[in-house]
Amino acid sequence: MSVRIGIRGGIGESVRRVDGEPKVKGDFEYASDLSREGMLWGATLRSPHPHARIRSIDIQAAVSSPGVLAVLLAGDVPGKKTHGLDEADQPVLAWDVVRYAGEPVALVAAEDLELAREALKKIVVDYEVLPAVTDMEAALSPDAPRLHGKANNIIRSLRILHGNPDAKADVWVEGIYETGMQDQAPLGPEAGLAVPAADGGVDLYVATQWLHVDQDQIAPCLDLPREKVRLHLGGVGGAFGAREDLSMHIHACLLALRTKRPVKIVYGRQESFYGHVHRHPMRIWMRHGANRDGKLVNVQAYLLSDGGAYTSTSGPVIGNATSFAAGPYEVPNARLEGTAVFTNNLPCGAMRGFGAVQATFAYEAQMDELARALEMDPLELRSRNALHTGTVMPTGQLVSGAAPVRELIDRVAVLPVPPDEPAPDRDPMLLPGGAGHVGHGESLKRGIGFAVGYKNIGYSEGFDDSSQAWVRLSRDRDGPLARVKTAAVDVGQGLDTIVTQIVRTELGVERVALEQPDTRIGSAGSSSASRQTMMTGGAVQLACRAVREELDRQGGLERLNRPIEASRTYHHRVTGKLDENGQGDPHVTFAFAAARAVVEVDTELGLVRVVQLAVAQDVGRALNPQSVYGQIEGGSAQGLGLALMEEIELTDGKVRNASFTDYLIPTILDMPPVVSELIEEPEPGVPFGAKGVGEFSTVVVPAAVAAALRQATGRAIHRIPVKPDDLAGLRPALAYRKPPGS
Amino acid sequence: MIPASFDYVAPKTLPEAVAELVKHGDEAKVLAGGHSLIPLMKLRLSTPSFIVDIGRIKDLNYIREADGHIAFGALTTHHDIEFSDLVKRRLPVLSSAASQIGDPQVRNRGTIGGAAAHADPFGDFPACLLALDAEFKVVGPRGERTIAAKDFFVETFTNALEPQEVLREIRVPSPPEGSAGTYLKFSRRSQDWAIVAVAAQVTVKGHAVERVAIGLTGMGSRPLRGSAVEQALRGKPAHAEEIRAAADRAADGSDPPQDLNASPEYRRHLATVLTRRALEQVTGHH
Repeated sequence: MSVRIGIRGGIGESVRRVDGEPKVKGDFEYASDLSREGMLWGATLRSPHPHARIRSIDIQAAVSSPGVLAVLLAGDVPGKKTHGLDEADQPVLAWDVVRYAGEPVALVAAEDLELAREALKKIVVDYEVLPAVTDMEAALSPDAPRLHGKANNIIRSLRILHGNPDAKADVWVEGIYETGMQDQAPLGPEAGLAVPAADGGVDLYVATQWLHVDQDQIAPCLDLPREKVRLHLGGVGGAFGAREDLSMHIHACLLALRTKRPVKIVYGRQESFYGHVHRHPMRIWMRHGANRDGKLVNVQAYLLSDGGAYTSTSGPVIGNATSFAAGPYEVPNARLEGTAVFTNNLPCGAMRGFGAVQATFAYEAQMDELARALEMDPLELRSRNALHTGTVMPTGQLVSGAAPVRELIDRVAVLPVPPDEPAPDRDPMLLPGGAGHVGHGESLKRGIGFAVGYKNIGYSEGFDDSSQAWVRLSRDRDGPLARVKTAAVDVGQGLDTIVTQIVRTELGVERVALEQPDTRIGSAGSSSASRQTMMTGGAVQLACRAVREELDRQGGLERLNRPIEASRTYHHRVTGKLDENGQGDPHVTFAFAAARAVVEVDTELGLVRVVQLAVAQDVGRALNPQSVYGQIEGGSAQGLGLALMEEIELTDGKVRNASFTDYLIPTILDMPPVVSELIEEPEPGVPFGAKGVGEFSTVVVPAAVAAALRQATGRAIHRIPVKPDDLAGLRPALAYRKPPGS
Repeated sequence: MIPASFDYVAPKTLPEAVAELVKHGDEAKVLAGGHSLIPLMKLRLSTPSFIVDIGRIKDLNYIREADGHIAFGALTTHHDIEFSDLVKRRLPVLSSAASQIGDPQVRNRGTIGGAAAHADPFGDFPACLLALDAEFKVVGPRGERTIAAKDFFVETFTNALEPQEVLREIRVPSPPEGSAGTYLKFSRRSQDWAIVAVAAQVTVKGHAVERVAIGLTGMGSRPLRGSAVEQALRGKPAHAEEIRAAADRAADGSDPPQDLNASPEYRRHLATVLTRRALEQVTGHH
């Protein structure tokens, strides 16, 4: 690796975010700020029923409503009627059946948003309400309504058989675990602006995670060739997986093409809850068998996930969860089964952690149970079984990269724990309840819990993934300048800054200008799966190196007179699909993390204060340490939220808390200090040896918080988010029963 | 979300405000600090076509003790109540409650009059004012009248004011010297609405409880008095066993709501524990 010495702001430095200042000053243009002369506003009518047949739709009153320029139904979609990431099964607009409460049924474009909303109220839809299936186990029943007219409601089932799945063990522990439906809750709701073009095509400015996969889905629905559907990135206010699937994209394009005027659609917070996919709720059955000496012998797992009404990425999510179900441990024998089902709940898909979060909560609870059964220290049990480079995973995949699991455990365990000050002497802000006082620290118990976990980096199971970058080096009045273009999206994770650092290091040029991402360059893939530093970082590095070669031929920067440009595409190593026994080489590589949570519980009330979170993470190499810490802290906050409060509450398929008043997100006062340790063991075969860093604290923190709560209260915690009455012992714990179909 | 469109006037005096309300009838809403009304309007749960902003009326922001009561101008902010030495000394239950409302921004803008008139059963001041036997001075087209706290809070978001009346002042009878109070508030997340909260004001003479007043937030569709607790404790020794026995009756006669935050059983549990802790705290038993 050639690292140029003496250039400021290269890799390894905690360079300030290139988008930091405009965001802090309010100068950054988010997609919701987009505007054009003559712009109309679009609005969406959504189904109030989780499952219903549409008998008729009367739009007459809406069409003649003041300021309305278009009212569109499914029949107005000129091309393909459906879209979807893995399976095009989601209607652009429902025509015969609605499968979840919140599904789009009709669109209006009007001179302003108020007029558009008024018109929506005048659309009359005659629904025949159908029986809905809203529980994932019920969806498996032969009597359940079938959402898509297939033989059953199964989206994907897989089975991983490893060693002798019937192997006997000295000690067994078993449990059922549940996780709730978490919302990504990006602060910027879905937003975009479609502008009709003179060539009959459309330009869509939109907040997204992956421009090209949007383009691939939009063009066939508009019945336009791909090149006439041009996507441009609008400013993204957070994503966390919520922007992987389409939301308002096709709708705005349809309205713009029909009215021949620019059309903007921005969801409000309530609509945002219906307008994107969520983290899959899972119900997980596990049995762990070990020898008396604390070596894992056999892991049995059955994972059921609620995919909601449409496929989205339910397949890869259950694939991830199932392949990770034995944890970051050496397990000689295993039977890991996973099933994702359709229900009439909100569709679920990508969210930070992508299946690993749910599995980790379950297997780490099991590891603590096992430690208790073996009368062993829980960290000792984990260390004794820790996976390492050279381990064969249950899928048969050999761990070939860095896997410092034992070191992570050791490092997180020795981080200082905040002193346990006597409750009566404390500032009430440092007691459970914090800003709301519930007393003077009566019935206060402290607990410390650990969790270790891991997740893949990049896409898995044979997905052919790549990213393209273009770099142009020239000289102007102020000296050398590198211009960079990719289609990669900075969703707030800091990619633009990392790309800038890579260019500085590779070209030895301080001035780097990034062009706005669009579909005029090749795909960069999604800003998800902790993959962009590897993929787009890799592409930028390759393009820089090509430029550098030419520059060296010309005699170096001093001799630079005509611009040099290069375009390169990065591919990661090829992975493979799983066979019918779940064997294969599914994942590119992995990153690991360990977390420790210190909590205090007012055990009488069931109220929690998280005192501290400590995270040790396997990062390969920290290209921007401050950014890495930021990702660990943000991911920890989202993990704490899932552990304690963040859940979309559904009753009969209807969301009951579609607002930030009722959907609880931790505030700054609920977030404790996060102490982070970075373990830098460069990953072979990956640009700069840098692993992705965005997801791993979210994978381990919920499990660690749950473990700490168990220790503090002595109660079995089988479900997250944990509710106060669970902690106060006012509700019975989930008892073990056999998984469905066994 | 953005509120529906509305017209707006900011009168300079109370009579002008009343005149505006008379003119616009049911279409009008009074705006004080805006921290209850504006969120409702943004959610379109309230869509008044006319706003009478009383925020520009002078001399409605004061706290003073006279003639056996402590008076709060309707526009007195939560912040001013939180930091008032008079309130800290005489009515600590109110400074305690004020300090737990929302966040500093809310406390700088929100007013006691607005919070009371909003009559939110999950708001913090209503239960305190009920426990303190507050009186509400309201001005209308036919002059001024006084409404007792037990009559003021009618139902969720419904107070006893006529549509043309404006709240001018809240009066709380001066407690005896040595009276103590506190407000304990339970919410799952910091700076949130109460799930259940308890206001307690107690006067101990010698070793006996001379006066005790308990107000409950979040235990019904309006703030409630913990009458059973009061009866059980009044005249009894301020000892741990008596306090516990009395606090066990905190939920008596209540019909707490079932919602996403808590079941009725859990609310009863919270009311009992918080009442016990509040009583222990104000009688020096913690």
